[in-house]
This record gives sequence, C-alpha cells and structure tokens, in this order.
Amino acid sequence: MFAFSPYISSFIDQIISSVPYFKPELTLIVTFIGTILASLFLDRYWKKTSFTMTLIGLLLSGCYLLGQGLSHIEITGFFDMIHIDDFAISARLIILVSTVLILLFIHQRHQHQERPLGDLYAVLLTATLGLNLLTMSSNWLMIFIAVETVSISSYIMVGYFSSSKVQSEAAMKYVLFGSVCAAVMLYGLSLLYGFTGNLNFDTQSHIAGLIEAPQIMVSLALLFLLTGIGFKLSFFPFHVWSPDVYQGAPTVITTYLATVPKIAVVVLLSKLLASWLTVSFYFSDFLAYVIMGIAIATMLIGNLAALRQQDAKRMMAYSSIGHTGILLMAVLVYQNNESNVLLFYLSIYALMNIAVFIFIDALEVHIGHTQIDSYRGLGKQFPLLFTAFSLVLIALVGLPPTAGFVGKLLVFSKVFEQYQTFQSFGLLALLIVGALTSVISLFYYFKIPLNAFLKDGSTQQSFRFDPLLLGLGLLCTAVVILLGLFPDLLLAAF
Amino acid sequence: MPILSLLIFLPLLATALILALPTRYKSSYKYIALIFTAIQFVLAGICYANFDSAQTGIQDLAGYQFVEQLPWIRLDLGAIGKLEIDYLIGIDGISMPLLLLSALVMLMAIGASWKIQKSPKGYFALLMVLNMAVMGIFCALDFFLFYLFYEVMLLPLYFLIGIWGGARREYAAIKFFLYTLFGSVFMLLIIVGLYFSVINPLTGAHTFNMIYMMNPENYLGESIFAWDGYQEILGISARLVGFIVLFFAFAIKVPIVPLHTWLPDAHVEAPTPVSIILAGILLKIGGYGIIRICYSIFPDMAALSNWWLGLIGVVSIIYGALNALSQKDLKRMIAYSSVSHMGFVLLGIASMTAEGISGAMFQMISHGFLSAALFFLVGVLYDRVHDRNIYSFRGLAQIMPKYTGYVAVAFFASLGLPGFSAFIGEAFVIIGSFNATSIGTGLPRWMAIAGSIGILLSAAYLLWTLQRMFFGQIRLKGGESWGTALTDLSVREQLILFPTLALALLLGIMPDLVFSNLNASVLNLVSIIQQFI
Repeated sequence: MFAFSPYISSFIDQIISSVPYFKPELTLIVTFIGTILASLFLDRYWKKTSFTMTLIGLLLSGCYLLGQGLSHIEITGFFDMIHIDDFAISARLIILVSTVLILLFIHQRHQHQERPLGDLYAVLLTATLGLNLLTMSSNWLMIFIAVETVSISSYIMVGYFSSSKVQSEAAMKYVLFGSVCAAVMLYGLSLLYGFTGNLNFDTQSHIAGLIEAPQIMVSLALLFLLTGIGFKLSFFPFHVWSPDVYQGAPTVITTYLATVPKIAVVVLLSKLLASWLTVSFYFSDFLAYVIMGIAIATMLIGNLAALRQQDAKRMMAYSSIGHTGILLMAVLVYQNNESNVLLFYLSIYALMNIAVFIFIDALEVHIGHTQIDSYRGLGKQFPLLFTAFSLVLIALVGLPPTAGFVGKLLVFSKVFEQYQTFQSFGLLALLIVGALTSVISLFYYFKIPLNAFLKDGSTQQSFRFDPLLLGLGLLCTAVVILLGLFPDLLLAAF
Repeated sequence: MPILSLLIFLPLLATALILALPTRYKSSYKYIALIFTAIQFVLAGICYANFDSAQTGIQDLAGYQFVEQLPWIRLDLGAIGKLEIDYLIGIDGISMPLLLLSALVMLMAIGASWKIQKSPKGYFALLMVLNMAVMGIFCALDFFLFYLFYEVMLLPLYFLIGIWGGARREYAAIKFFLYTLFGSVFMLLIIVGLYFSVINPLTGAHTFNMIYMMNPENYLGESIFAWDGYQEILGISARLVGFIVLFFAFAIKVPIVPLHTWLPDAHVEAPTPVSIILAGILLKIGGYGIIRICYSIFPDMAALSNWWLGLIGVVSIIYGALNALSQKDLKRMIAYSSVSHMGFVLLGIASMTAEGISGAMFQMISHGFLSAALFFLVGVLYDRVHDRNIYSFRGLAQIMPKYTGYVAVAFFASLGLPGFSAFIGEAFVIIGSFNATSIGTGLPRWMAIAGSIGILLSAAYLLWTLQRMFFGQIRLKGGESWGTALTDLSVREQLILFPTLALALLLGIMPDLVFSNLNASVLNLVSIIQQFI
C-alpha cells in the first residue's frame, strides 16, 4: 500500500504554494457562500444585497485575473491539476465579462418578480467556477468534475423560473440528456485511464498509452469522450436538445447557455487537440477526421434547420449550432501559443449572442412570445432597436463592417494557412462549407429585418423598453461594430 | 487636401445629419442629400480637371493619383504572419471616369427621389450610406477595404428595394442579396489565399494590398497562387480557380447570362431612384471588378480563358436582346436591355485589345447615364398612372409631346445611333473584338459579328416599343382619368433629363473627353496581358 503519511508535509507545501494562483476561483467560492447567506438573511432588508455581492465578487475575481494576465504567469499547481497560462487567463476573462453582462441582464429583467433571484446568482457563480476550471485543467478527473459542476448549475438555471409545462419539459429534457452524455463521457474517460494509467492528457505517458492501445478501443473511447463534449457544445449529433431547451428556457438563461459554457468547452477542446494532433498516430488522425466531419455536419445541419424556424429563440438555437461548426474549424487549426484568433471569435460570438437575446427578450416582454412574424411592421415604431438588432444579425452572418466578419475572416485565414501547408481535402471542404453556410445563414437571419422593416404591421403597438437593458444591447452592438473596424483593439490584448 | 477621402465620407456626414434631425424637418432631408451629393459631384469634377492623363496606374502605385495611404490594421498573428491592412485609396484612368459617373448618377437618383413620401428619413440615410460604399469601391486599392465597401453596399440596397419597392419587393430584395453574397463569400476565400501568397517587399509581411498582388515578384514560391502554376485545387491549377471564382463574383453583378435572373426582378420591384443606381452604378462595379481585380491580378489566366469570357459576353448580348424583345413590362424590357448592353462590356474586356477594353470602359460610362435616363423615363410614367405595361399605352405622343421627345432621344442614343455615346462604345468593342484575331488573343471573328447582331436587335426592340406606345391613336387602359393624369414633363424632370441626354450627345461627338483619361491605363493593362498571350 502506498505510504501516505511521509508525504503529507510536502503535499501541504504544494497546496499552499498553489493557492495564490487560485485567487480568482477562491473569490468565486467565497462569493458563492456569501451570496447564499445574503439571499437567506439579508435580501429581505435590501433586495439587491445578493446581486451586489455577486457583482462585486465577479469584478474582484476579474481584478485578480487581470493581475495574472499582466504578469503573464505560466504555472502549474495542485499536482498538475490546474495549468495557468495566457490562453487560460484570456479565456477566463472572456467568461467573466460575459457572465457580468448576463448577470446585469438577469437582474434588470427579473428584479421585479416575486421569485427571489439570490439562489440563481449563487448558481451562476458555481457555473462560472466550473467553467474556469475547465479552461485551466488538463486532468481528466478535474475536467469531469468541472463539466458536472457546470451541468448541474445549468440544470438548475433552466428550471429556475419554470412556470409552464413547456419550461419544465425543457428542463427535464436537458437533465436527462445531460446526465446520459456525462455517464457516457465518464465511461470513455475510464477507458482512456485504463489504456494509459495517466489522467493528464498532455503528458507523454498518456499519449504513449494511446498509441499502444488497440485501435478500435481507442476510437470507441474517443467517441465516448466526444459525447460529453458534444453535449456541452451542442454539435452534431448531440445538438438535438438545444432547440427545445433554448426555446423553453427563460431568455436570460438561454443567453447564458448559448454563450458562456461554449467558450470554456471550446478552450478545453482546443487544448486537447493541440496536444494530441501534433503526434501523427492513428488516434490523432482519427480524432482530426471525426472533428472535421462533425464540423461540416454541424454547420450544414444548424444552418439548414434554422431556415425552417418560425420562433426567434429556436432559430438562434440552430444558429448557435451553426456557429459551433465554425468554432470547431477554429479549434481544429488551433496551435499552442496562438490563441488570439480563437479568443477573438469566442468573444465576438458571446457579444453577438448576448446582444441578440437582449433584443429578443425586450420584444418578448411586450409581445408575449418570440414568433418572428410578430415583429411585423415594428421596425418603423422602434427604429433604434431594430437597426441595432439588424446590425448584430449582420455580424452573425459575418458581413463587414462588423466584428463578425473579422472573426470569420481570421478563422478562414487560419484554416487556409493549414490547407496551404498540408493540402488536405478536408480543410478545403471546411472552407467551402463555411463560406456556403454564411450565404444560407443570411436567409434566416434576415427574416427578422424582413418582418420588421419590409412588412407592414397590422396594429400600432405602444410600449416602452427598459432603457437600461436596451442600453446594454446597444452597447454590445456598438462594440461589435467598433471591433469590426478596429479589430486590433481586442486582438492585440490577447 | 485628402480629396478622395472627402469624396467617400461626405455622404456619411449627410447620413449623420439626416438621422440627427428630428422628423419635424423631414422636408429638409432631400435638400441635405442633394447638397452633399452636389458637393461630391464638384469634388469628382475637380479630380477630373486635375487628372494627369499621362499616368498609367494599374500595377504601379506611382501611377495612381490622389493616393492616400494610412496604416490601418497591423497585427502579429504568429504562424499566419503579420496582418497588414492599409487604408489605401487612389484612382487611375480606369476608376476616374467611373467615379465621376457615380457622382452624376447619384445626383440623378436624388432628383428622382424628390417625391418620396414613405419615411424619408430612413430612405435618404440609406441612400447616402450606399453613396459612400460606391465611392469607396471605386477608390479602394486594398483588397480588405474593397471587400468592406463591396459588402456594405449590399445592406442599404437590400432595404431600399425591400422597403420602398413594389409588390414582390421582399422576394426581389433577398434574391439580389443572396446572389451577390454567394459570389462574394467565395471571393473572400480567394482574398485569403492571395493574402497568404503575397508579401509586401518592403516589410516582408503578408498584405492585402492589391497593387502588390499584381506584381509576380511579390508572390511566395510555395504559395497557393504562386505564378509557377504548380499548385492545384481539386486537380485544377490554383490560379485558374482563383480567376474563375473572382470572375463569377463580379460577373453576377455585371450580370452575365445565366446569372442575370436577379436583375429583372430587382429592377422591376425597386423604386425608380434605386433602379437608376442599380443600372447606372452597380452593374459597372462588376465590369470594374473584372478589369481591376481579375485581369490585373490574374493576367495569365485572363489570357487563357478569354475565349470563354467572350462567349459569355456574346450570349448575354443576344439572349438579353431577345428577352427584351418579348417583354410586356417596360421596366423589365429596359432591364433586359441592360443585360444585353453590359454583354458588350464583357466582350470588349475579353478581346484584350486596347480598342476593345477602351470600348468596354466607354460603354460602361455611356450605359451608366443612358440606362439611368431610361429608368427615370419609366419612372415618370409609373409615377403618374402606376402602370408600366407597354400595351396599356398607345399614342402617348399626342398627350405628352415633350416626354415623347426625350424618350425618342434616349432610345436612339441607347440603340447605338452614330453621334451618341453608345455608338462609340459598341463600335470600339466590335472593332476591338474583330482585331483580336489578328493580334492572336484567340477571340474568333464570329463573336464580333454576333455582337453587331445584338445592336440590330436592340434597334428592333427599342423602335418597336416606341411605335407601340407613342404613335397611333390615343388608346389608354385607364381611359379618361389617365388622360388627365398623364401630364407632360415637369421642370424638375427636364432638369434631370436634359443634361444626361446632352452628355450622351457630347460624348458621342467628343469621345476624347473620356478616352484621353483612359488611354494610358488601358495601354498599360493591355501590355501586361500581352506578355501571356
């Protein structure tokens, strides 16, 4: 038996020395506990205590992150469980900024409802914690724990406001599908551990183990692994849950699901591929081809299915599946230490989606539902909102002068550069499908301006939008345009 | 003075002004648009007056005039190199006449939108954004900048057709958008490929600079579009693929048969001013793109494939004319006549002779304001009785004598009557394509002959229409009420039409006004392509 006691002191030393680098996450944990207590005891005196606390916690965590980012530390801690580098820091900053935006969105949108929001804020913090861990870890066990933290938090969020049957159904579907995928992923991980005897996917012994393992079994394990990742990213063929859940969940939660978790999982997947694809063996070729195939199928299915949607939120679900395809393209050609293209696309993706959902939600509050044809003729009454909405949709198509275009251009450039080096047909197919699906996507995104501006509405509706929320949406839009004209403002920061 | 930047971004100022003014002052929007466009026209005129016609342009930045260059985006992207995007604008003999044309056509379009009632704020704001994009396209010498303006142009057009258009406007607007976008997303892939193939010899960074892309020495040896031609995409020479994709992206705009089907729909549904801009400026962007980008960056492939280009040109001429012959809707007929007339541009470009390319350029200018005038004339009729069917009218000459006079002049000018500008353009194209065989560019003589048949056909449909609508006894579909509604041309309408038709006559008599500025650049382009024949 492994003698444990002599090592205790060195273990503790290791842990203590790692703690300073874990400050952003520790802040989140402390805030989490604080928020729970606040929502139990303090919210009755001042309604906004838990909100303020969450906000401060997130901002404080952001400060620590900025500190890490400015000193460009590269460190491994907690027995190789976490690995902090510039990529992880930038990714966490994007996650944090998006979370803060969504937090403001949730607060502004639901603060006047009877249901207290304190618990939701607490859950938001745990989800952020899980996502942070995902971006930092290369240890399968840690990754699984992080994925589960995020999943369980998301289950609660989806069901948090559920008052109707549709919403409960969405939450239930999400939980069932999620737990099955997690179980399958865990099985895959146990196989990988069995082959390699090592849980860190970027170590030599792990890769050596994979090389020696039987091909069929490795393929199977990898496919199992992709099941779990695929659920979180909602790529083909694990995308089926997302339209129902996106449509059924409250819009604020849909916003969260569509943006932030994807950022972390994309970062994880790109780290995984970057450390595996450099070795040219059966398993890496297999993985590359599978991802290529998945990316193509995801782009096609997401965009083609979106064509037929009548509901704005459901359409955005398929649109986000389509964008996952583009993200997979970026992941596939990600190379170590060159994360700026990927990070740029991720931040733009998050911004665009947050803006779109804020607009959808603002309209939903007044119209009562999210059918696209109910926007008929509203463009003339609310020119500001719909102009901004159209601009963000243009960005989602990937047209200049928006940041969506720059993002797509950079991803295409990366893929093209790889194509020029390897002359692989798969990469060319990715490029062609990527270009083709942008044309398709124009068709459905433009249903919204089409209805708002081109069709005549029947009734004059008079309602006022929440000025703060509208302002937040406009701010996101302005940033999307600004970064389209001057992308170096953000790109240089990564 | 950064005259080109001023020319491009003045309309943006107008947009801001229009958006800032409250709706109370909505009658002032058109004056703002008019004043700003008039200033633009004056600026373009100053460019024209100060243009040094001896400068060559094309592949030599020193040969461009009014050049402005500012570093815009500079990024180190690791393996994919340093990103270098410049704000680089300038004009040569190819873009100068088109710039002036755009300013003129814009002025006409504003004049034609004088009576717009439906939300004038949005209308004029979008028109000014479109104006900016168009000017930008003709000035941009950086491919990124070019693409930016090229795509930005689509959005205002989509809304202009879609909101202020006719009955089937939604269909027409999205069809137009999808066609163009389909061409341009694949263009984007080629741009990326060119970016990786070309380096700036001064800094060693990859660049989007079009001028550098035109010089074979700037291509990296192993790159995808390298001039050695060993690189292949799906078994076809990569440079050929690049040329074909870029050609089709622009050919959709020209438009060529069989990719022209968006044009009749867009024209019929668009409001008159937008039709004017579509025919007067946007189709020219297609021709301009082929000369500036396809021919200048891929001259070797242009020399290889000009037979096909010529064939497409001839097919467009004949097919467009035959279609025009069978139309019952006056606007649709003129739209098809545009397809036919733009076919000459393609035929001229394909001939790769100095005469042919000059003729193509001249045809673009001439068709620019003539088609604008034609669409304006259709608009005059449609404004009054909301009908465009040729068979709804007969004997108009007796009710609207002035209108008939202008229509007759415009029709004669368009069908290529000697003395008018279209004659010069078409004659030079046919001379050029006839001579092409003797200098060995591989364009057979029957194409020139087929082109002349196109002129004959255009005479047929235009004169037949004149006869059907304007001569004979008065017979109107709407009866008495139409008789009173069909008033003759107003002063405003004459003010727009007269200068245009006078210009057609002026250029028909003194073509040198355009040719002298073109010549140096065209000769330079021809000499570049000649090396590959």
